[in-house]
Amino acid sequence: MSDLQTKKPQWWKSKDVKITAALWVVLSVFIGVIGGIVNSRPMGQPASETMANTIHIMKLFTWVSAPVAGLVAAIAIKSLMQKMHFGDNPPAEADHQISDSPKATALWLIVSALLCLFALVFGMVVFQRDNNTLLDVHAADVNVTGQQWAWNFDYIDNGKFQSEDLYLPVNKPVHFHVTSLDVVHSFWIVQMGIKVDANPGYITETAVTPTKIGVYDLRCAELCGLLHAYMQKKVHVVSQQDYNNWVTSHGGTI
Amino acid sequence: MTTVMNHKSPTASHRPIMERLNVVTALVLGIALAVISYYLASKFLPENTEGSVMKTRHDQIILIAMFGWFIGFMTGIGALVAPVRWLMGKDLSHDENMYLAGKDAGTARYFRYTTDHKVVGIQYLVITMVIFGVGGILAMLIRTNLGHAEGGWLHPQAYNAVVGIHGIIMIVGTIIMITGPFGNFIMPIMIGARDMAFPRLNALSFWLIVAALAPILSSFFLGGITTGWSAYNPLATQSPGGMDGYIMFICIFAISTMVAGANITTTVVRMRAKGMTWTRTPIFIYGTVASVALALPAFPVFFLSQVMSAMDRAAGTTFYDTRGGGSGWLYENLFWLMGHPEVYVILIPAVAALMEMAPVFTRRPLFSFKIAVMGIAGICGLSILVWAHHMYVTGWAPLLNAPFMLTTELISIPTGMLFLVLVGTVWRGRLWMTVPTASIFALLLNFMIGGITGIYLSDVPADAALHGSMFVTAHFHYTLMGAGLTGAIAALIFWFPKMTGRMIDKQLSWISFWLVQIGFNVAFMGMFMVGLAGQPRRVEAYAELFTRGNQITTGAAFVIMTGMLVLLWAVIYSWRNGQKAPMNPWQSKTLEWSVPNPVPLENFETLPIVTSDPYGYGKAQS
Amino acid sequence: MRTLVNNENRSNLNGNALSHFPNNIVGGFMNKRILGAFLTVALGAGTIVGIGSYVAAAKNDSRVLAATPAGTLQTPQGNLPHYTLDMSVYPDSMFGGHGKDGGPHPDYVSYGPVTNFSVPAHSAVTITVHQYDSGETITNPFFAKAHGTMDGTMTVNGVKMSEVSPKTVGHTFTLHGLANGKDQLFVSVPLLYVPEEEQPESGYTKTPSVTTFTFITGGEGEYVWNCEFPCGDGTYARFGAVMSTMGYMSGHFNVVNA
Repeated sequence: MSDLQTKKPQWWKSKDVKITAALWVVLSVFIGVIGGIVNSRPMGQPASETMANTIHIMKLFTWVSAPVAGLVAAIAIKSLMQKMHFGDNPPAEADHQISDSPKATALWLIVSALLCLFALVFGMVVFQRDNNTLLDVHAADVNVTGQQWAWNFDYIDNGKFQSEDLYLPVNKPVHFHVTSLDVVHSFWIVQMGIKVDANPGYITETAVTPTKIGVYDLRCAELCGLLHAYMQKKVHVVSQQDYNNWVTSHGGTI
Repeated sequence: MTTVMNHKSPTASHRPIMERLNVVTALVLGIALAVISYYLASKFLPENTEGSVMKTRHDQIILIAMFGWFIGFMTGIGALVAPVRWLMGKDLSHDENMYLAGKDAGTARYFRYTTDHKVVGIQYLVITMVIFGVGGILAMLIRTNLGHAEGGWLHPQAYNAVVGIHGIIMIVGTIIMITGPFGNFIMPIMIGARDMAFPRLNALSFWLIVAALAPILSSFFLGGITTGWSAYNPLATQSPGGMDGYIMFICIFAISTMVAGANITTTVVRMRAKGMTWTRTPIFIYGTVASVALALPAFPVFFLSQVMSAMDRAAGTTFYDTRGGGSGWLYENLFWLMGHPEVYVILIPAVAALMEMAPVFTRRPLFSFKIAVMGIAGICGLSILVWAHHMYVTGWAPLLNAPFMLTTELISIPTGMLFLVLVGTVWRGRLWMTVPTASIFALLLNFMIGGITGIYLSDVPADAALHGSMFVTAHFHYTLMGAGLTGAIAALIFWFPKMTGRMIDKQLSWISFWLVQIGFNVAFMGMFMVGLAGQPRRVEAYAELFTRGNQITTGAAFVIMTGMLVLLWAVIYSWRNGQKAPMNPWQSKTLEWSVPNPVPLENFETLPIVTSDPYGYGKAQS
Repeated sequence: MRTLVNNENRSNLNGNALSHFPNNIVGGFMNKRILGAFLTVALGAGTIVGIGSYVAAAKNDSRVLAATPAGTLQTPQGNLPHYTLDMSVYPDSMFGGHGKDGGPHPDYVSYGPVTNFSVPAHSAVTITVHQYDSGETITNPFFAKAHGTMDGTMTVNGVKMSEVSPKTVGHTFTLHGLANGKDQLFVSVPLLYVPEEEQPESGYTKTPSVTTFTFITGGEGEYVWNCEFPCGDGTYARFGAVMSTMGYMSGHFNVVNA
């Protein structure tokens, strides 16, 4: 339209564009900061690299989405900043009758595609890092068996003794081989950020290196029937010495 | 008053059968056939073989009884009249078709197998409200139980059944909430047609849903279900008889969806008014067609997955049992092959409806119609390539996690296009502030939150922390309820004048809007928090540290409940006593506003000829 | 496209609809609308409360058996208050706990006299289980051992041991569920079977197996227990039917502050 052609060199000077731009900056920062806090606070202190990576990537994705969300919010808020017309009849038709803007569209698409690509690449990088623990040949092996509605563990590196408790030595990678004796369960150590389903008839794998001594939560994350809510356990990450003591007291070998 | 019909048939001395069939005969015949099938099955089915691994007889009886209900109900409502006539080598006469269309029939036509798309649209509206009512009651039961950390108000079996049935009922409700009432009532008028391509299939698709409700509601009395709405096998195989109710519900509903899909797609492709080229077709039509077209390949897969589940329960097969060579992963793949496109089946009509309303309430053109269409098409296309992001942690195919992460993150691009269209339309618009207008902004907020949390979930490592937690529950409530339901309620208020001839009470609908939106955001933000902190999904009791978040969600849920009940009253009250609506209260340019209230049986006196697109607002346009 | 030109219609929209009603019923009109809204909300809430109460009342077993005080006991954690609990496992539900006719599932194996128990926190608890049912080889041999008991042992028919043969298990008592409790509490003992030869034609055997074990409770919390030897014949993994019905082979176990 010819209107657009004559307006083109001056569109960034118009008042509403300036207000929207200012709103955009403020809101993007707000969303990034608040979003980051809101995400990471409830997740607490990570107990493994994997969890720390997850918290970081969520913060990163928040910042990557913040400009887009900020722009949507800025335009929305700006358009609400007008004298509202209530009532049973419509107000006069808008001055602005442009129904298309190839440049705006192209810009939006390119930027959102770039942000998407960025998120993808970073996600893959973190994914790769987590997978490395799975490939670590020095990792200890623990078999995890889920059944309705309790977990039990086989410490196959320590003489194959069985226990209802999950004790892990700090800073040592551990490789879990998970299976189920009945329905699908899910082995989730909350503060370590690892999760893999326990399937009947298959063995699935996950691995992690606990980095903090403490007591954490193992919860079943897949509805498995009557007492799914109670299929939980404490996970104890202890020093190597304490771990050895625990193993021997249960009849295992170091 | 019924039309007197001329019968060519020599035996026509009695009232023709189609005049006798209605919902009462359907119920009677359905119950009768269910009871008869039940007794026959109990009597003649062989006992379980001694020492067999699976006891199948109980499920066989239940499934047969439910099938009997289905046949009885559909026969009793008159679904077989036309097919039988056709098998006899004849077709319905013009008078009979007019009778079926409810000509001169008054309120009685809403309780029969009526083919008029406007009647079907109203019927869908009512059944959707019933479904949301039941689902809402179940939701309040869930939240009340979760008000205390130790749960225990409902016992665990009852709780699991309530959660599972709440889920599946709401999913079905949200699938039909826009394409049902408005895809049926409004769509044909909007494209300038007199009815849909297959009017009898239209009636069929509605009555199938009514027939399907009996099995799922009977689940509660058959022991409930032990699974969530996703009915994962092998847990579903272990479930008591209520699971058969779920299976029948889905099988019947799948047929309804496929029938509706064929009908809507054919109507739009073939029956648009002269001059309504694809570039002049309103965006709501695109949204409706995309939704049902996506459902067409997806629901047969769901149907299949449930048939196999029924066979595992009732015929001793082992499709999903690794002990017999099957696999639970087979179920999960089949389910999510449907499950992911299905959420876009739910979402697209809601966004398309709001895109339809945006120009009307900003009095300026829709921003970039082409991008809106591309966005919808892009979402449809990509949505069938992303399903295994629901299966990142199943251990099924770890090597495929990365490709699915790629496709899932890519889908944010066409989704972003829809945002662009909406914000582009409100930009420099002259806002006419109504509940639908406010709903556009509510959708922008809710869908943004839903979308971004979806991005977190699409990341494989983050999903390892978030899958199976309340974070996921909050995410999908934000997209399906915060975006979907908001769009549906806006559509209701927008098209209410055309469908009922009255305006919805403004005060009540504003009160409802604020209660629902504020309640919703508080409730589900609280849910994100407890999910991030580690509360699993589908649990009836939880650790102390989640108490505060859950109490906030439960309290806010009561606010949502209040808002929805106020909306219910607004609909009932306005339907009877509301301000009479003029022909075009919103001064919109789409075709449905060019017909008078009440809309005549054949919609248009003369079929319109379209000369421009419907978004020509703005000072430069006439 | 037609625009609104009909003036009559326009006048319906200007102002509010009240202008069409005589003044003397304006007040009534307003009230009907608001009253209707309140009534709908009240009715809706009432329906929910009604349905909720109905569902909530349908528990299979809501009675709770509290542990009996029994002095103190010397334990590795010092001298603790001592409590005892007595329970039985019956091969059906006819023992009276589920009503005269065995309740809705008379053939379900049932623990009794009730399935919900309450013990005090930070105490030593001794449970004695009389097991009347027969048995077979347990699915997961892990549960054929005693876990979480005071010295890792239990007393079976008078003999102290830490496990039984996996081939001779009737049921288990596995106290494990942690949803709301702060402290881990996991106690599991196998319950020896009663061999077929000792089962009478009708009624219960006179020689049930007797298992006694002691454990120490931590802080307060709500836990659950269930049998970990599935016997729901004809269901998937035998964990359906009776195993998935609370109040027979599963129940609540509350640790309360004394």
